[in-house]
Amino acid sequence: MSALHTIIRRFGRFAKSRRLQLSAGIISVSAFVVFWHCFAWLLEYWDLSLQEYVPFPIEVFEVLVYSFVHEVPGMDLSMGVMALASLKRVVIGFTLALIVAFPLGLLMASFRFVNYLGDPIIEMFRPIPPVAWIPVLLVMLSVLWGPVAVVFLGAFFPILLNVMFGVKRTDQTLIDAAKTLGARRIDIFTKVVIPSTAPYLMTGVKVGLGISWMCIVAAEMLPVLGGGVGNALWTSAQQFSRFDVTFACMIVIGLMSILTTGLAEQVERRLYRWMGME
Amino acid sequence: MDGDGVMISLLNLSKTFSDDKHTVEAIDGFSLDIQQGEIVCLLGPSGCGKTTVLRMIAGLESKSSGSMKVRGKSVTSAGSDRGLVFQEFALFPWRTVRKNIEFGLELKTMPVEKRHEISSKFIELVGLTGFENVHPGKLSGGMKQRVGIARALANNPAVLLMDEPFGSLDAQTRNLMQKELLRIWSATGKTILFVTHSVDEAVFLADRIVVMTARPGKVKEAIPIGIPRPRDRTSSEFISVRGEVLSVLEAEFEKTQIRELSGD
Repeated sequence: MSALHTIIRRFGRFAKSRRLQLSAGIISVSAFVVFWHCFAWLLEYWDLSLQEYVPFPIEVFEVLVYSFVHEVPGMDLSMGVMALASLKRVVIGFTLALIVAFPLGLLMASFRFVNYLGDPIIEMFRPIPPVAWIPVLLVMLSVLWGPVAVVFLGAFFPILLNVMFGVKRTDQTLIDAAKTLGARRIDIFTKVVIPSTAPYLMTGVKVGLGISWMCIVAAEMLPVLGGGVGNALWTSAQQFSRFDVTFACMIVIGLMSILTTGLAEQVERRLYRWMGME
Repeated sequence: MDGDGVMISLLNLSKTFSDDKHTVEAIDGFSLDIQQGEIVCLLGPSGCGKTTVLRMIAGLESKSSGSMKVRGKSVTSAGSDRGLVFQEFALFPWRTVRKNIEFGLELKTMPVEKRHEISSKFIELVGLTGFENVHPGKLSGGMKQRVGIARALANNPAVLLMDEPFGSLDAQTRNLMQKELLRIWSATGKTILFVTHSVDEAVFLADRIVVMTARPGKVKEAIPIGIPRPRDRTSSEFISVRGEVLSVLEAEFEKTQIRELSGD
């Protein structure tokens, strides 16, 4: 009886541990790679003439490692250089979106007149998918700033809407408290409204970052000066039929998205700790 | 009309809430004078408008008619001469205890050293020494309300308005906080208007209990409480005064019950 209890308790502790989380993660990812390998092998075995589209995982891994040091097959830049170029565009486009959307969201949600002015325009542009702008923006702003502009549009709305929502959700009793302590409108805005939107801003930032990476792939479909992973992805598939390279590009983009989201979560955690809202 | 010692003077105060369809008379013909240094407890059945009266004095609600003066000056908006303590504490969660207490002082653009000196004094007064740099999320309900009281007092208001400040605390903490409030009151000599629905709390704290009528609220009876402090809840005097207040209140309470049952 007591031995059974000990086992259950031990298992309970193990189930909550980080080690279990890590091992489960490794198991599921390995299982996926095995499944992928079998799938590629089956396509080759049956000879359905689909095998060229689904390379073996080891091939993708090889070309990934190779192209980080040498040039990406068929292109004159390495994967590392192109990854940095794409990252730079995402960072610039996203940062510009943050700089514009955060104050605009605060103002639109706080001042009725600004809202009356801005709301119709926002509602007009919001339903248009950011990628629908690609043809115009790439021609208009050239292939260099075009992708940045698409990322800007992609990140802009989630940040704006979350900040506006955050302002509306400001606790009325906190505003009342500030008033009885002698706060004027501007004090309420800077000392109550802005701090209480912080969690909503961070939600907007995380959603906006995810959308930025979706946008950059589509926006780099034309050859971009300085290269880009999105561009490598399109050309490797369309021009060279090097699907091992295409899959390698997909992995690189996924990894960079994880990296930036992880960074945003770190910032969020620091911010909450600093604000005492853990 | 305002005597030297009158701190708050309310005359024929009324408040009507209305939207497109309904008009509700919340307060009608409420008159009351509160002396400097007095503790007045506002007591009444729920929905009688106790909190509305308090919020009007704080300047968070406008009056519909009547006159409302604090230290002889008409109340038009919220201001730091009337400190308000909230039932739900209303502390800024991103500010530490000290920064919460210094909020009003920051608005007065007081130099940091002076701010620090004042906040330290009130942190000590409410018994929060050692918790200066803690955020409200880490404090118990009773401690949160100590911060709420210190924050209101740090502005050196003429009156302290308290809206069921101990209503969300457990019974033991509540009794302790009542004693603490009396200690703080005797140290600062502030005029206190205290809204509560607890007869026990009112009899323990008040110099005078003002019982309100059911809606529209006005003063039904003002009962001076002459029991010397410190008051003992178990003394026969306390119990008989409590009984007296309770019977006044119950008559009003029944009216609201009847009204609710008849669907008005």
